[in-house]
Amino acid sequence: MTFGKYIRDQREALKSQDRRFSLRQVAQRIGVEPAYLSKIERGDWAPPSETKIRALAEELGEDADVLLAMAGKVSSDLQEIIRKRPQLFADLIRQLKSAPDQAILRIARDVRDGDW
Amino acid sequence: MIELMNNELTFRFPEVHEEAECSIDFQRTLRIPDDNRAYPLPPGLGRFPVEHVDDFASNLPDTWRTHGGVFIPMYQSEALWINFNADYPCAVKIAAGKINAVSGKPWSNGLSADSQDYVVIPEQPWLDGFNVSEGLIRQFVAMPLGEGFTAEEQITGMAEHGGLQIIAYPMKHDVYVKRFERSLIEEPVLYSKVESRSPDMGLAPGGLMRQEIYEDEYGIDAWDQNNGFRCFIHLANSRQYQMITGHQPPHKPVTARDYTEAGLPWFDYYDDSKALAGSNTLGGLTSVGAKVIQTGQGLLPDNEPVQPKTVKIIRKGNVVRDGKF
Repeated sequence: MTFGKYIRDQREALKSQDRRFSLRQVAQRIGVEPAYLSKIERGDWAPPSETKIRALAEELGEDADVLLAMAGKVSSDLQEIIRKRPQLFADLIRQLKSAPDQAILRIARDVRDGDW
Repeated sequence: MIELMNNELTFRFPEVHEEAECSIDFQRTLRIPDDNRAYPLPPGLGRFPVEHVDDFASNLPDTWRTHGGVFIPMYQSEALWINFNADYPCAVKIAAGKINAVSGKPWSNGLSADSQDYVVIPEQPWLDGFNVSEGLIRQFVAMPLGEGFTAEEQITGMAEHGGLQIIAYPMKHDVYVKRFERSLIEEPVLYSKVESRSPDMGLAPGGLMRQEIYEDEYGIDAWDQNNGFRCFIHLANSRQYQMITGHQPPHKPVTARDYTEAGLPWFDYYDDSKALAGSNTLGGLTSVGAKVIQTGQGLLPDNEPVQPKTVKIIRKGNVVRDGKF
């Protein structure tokens, strides 16, 4: 599914429950023209900037990394991490390409810091 | 990132230096008598089990999920010490109930330059308690939150946080390279490698122990404060720990009297580094034993004075204090 169609489907689903998810209101809340958002949803225009995609993800309750990936983008913080140690992370990602989720989770497991 | 493996927390700072890491574990130990005599170092009786909060989230209080981090089981009035391991110098700040165990001040991220509120590892091999005066600490002893014993409650009047809080900062890359990597060529060995339903416990000041907290010989600017990691270590009442995790907690530790009567060793650590002064705030706390008497609860059980017969001297580079019982 394309980025535009996915966004439209999610927004329409939310709109059926709550009028605040009309094209106009969502566009207003993320700070773009309704016509622009409409063209993105129809696939006439390419997906917007990372900042706007993050705002859309927040608005629609979607995962920002997933929406960025659908838009063919990689989050700037991930790019920064890779840029610092490109060989290591490129190798790691290639090697983990076919590993099951559980195996990846085991590698990535760190002690989560919360709010205190 | 902080990784939990074999009941040990490993803090790694690969963005600072590939060698930049330190490990922290929590040692079971006997509770030294709380009788205002200064005791030598008690032994380590093995690591406390450490669990991820996220693995048992549905059985834990909401606040624990918010804090994140890990938890360990402790019996009421059980003692612990914090064991540090590092080859790469790190500055570590430790708080109990968000009261700094070195300075007695409330928690803040970052290190304080005017009065040192952290320990430097590996120079500081361990920390057994609150820094009450130069060369003396009061042992960390677990007590239920809400009964007025913990350092947090005595200082703030609130039983809000409990647990232990730790933040570690590595030495700055450039400082490390200048001080250690260059000199390694010339000198090969510089560093040898309550409320009864709540499971929440806090740390209260127990008996007095001879232990120095060493002054930072590198200075505050040596630490990379942009690259610290922190962790909340909750203390779960051992009985509730079993209900939460289904895992058996360790047995209650042996008493100081039984340990000593069995002829087993206590320890003294010698290092000629300069020791920090104690914190007046922490020095003014009432110990668990005194508080039990003050509040008319009789006497703290298993608190008879002991005369350690065997005291092993340990020095820098040989920092093992295992007790076999």
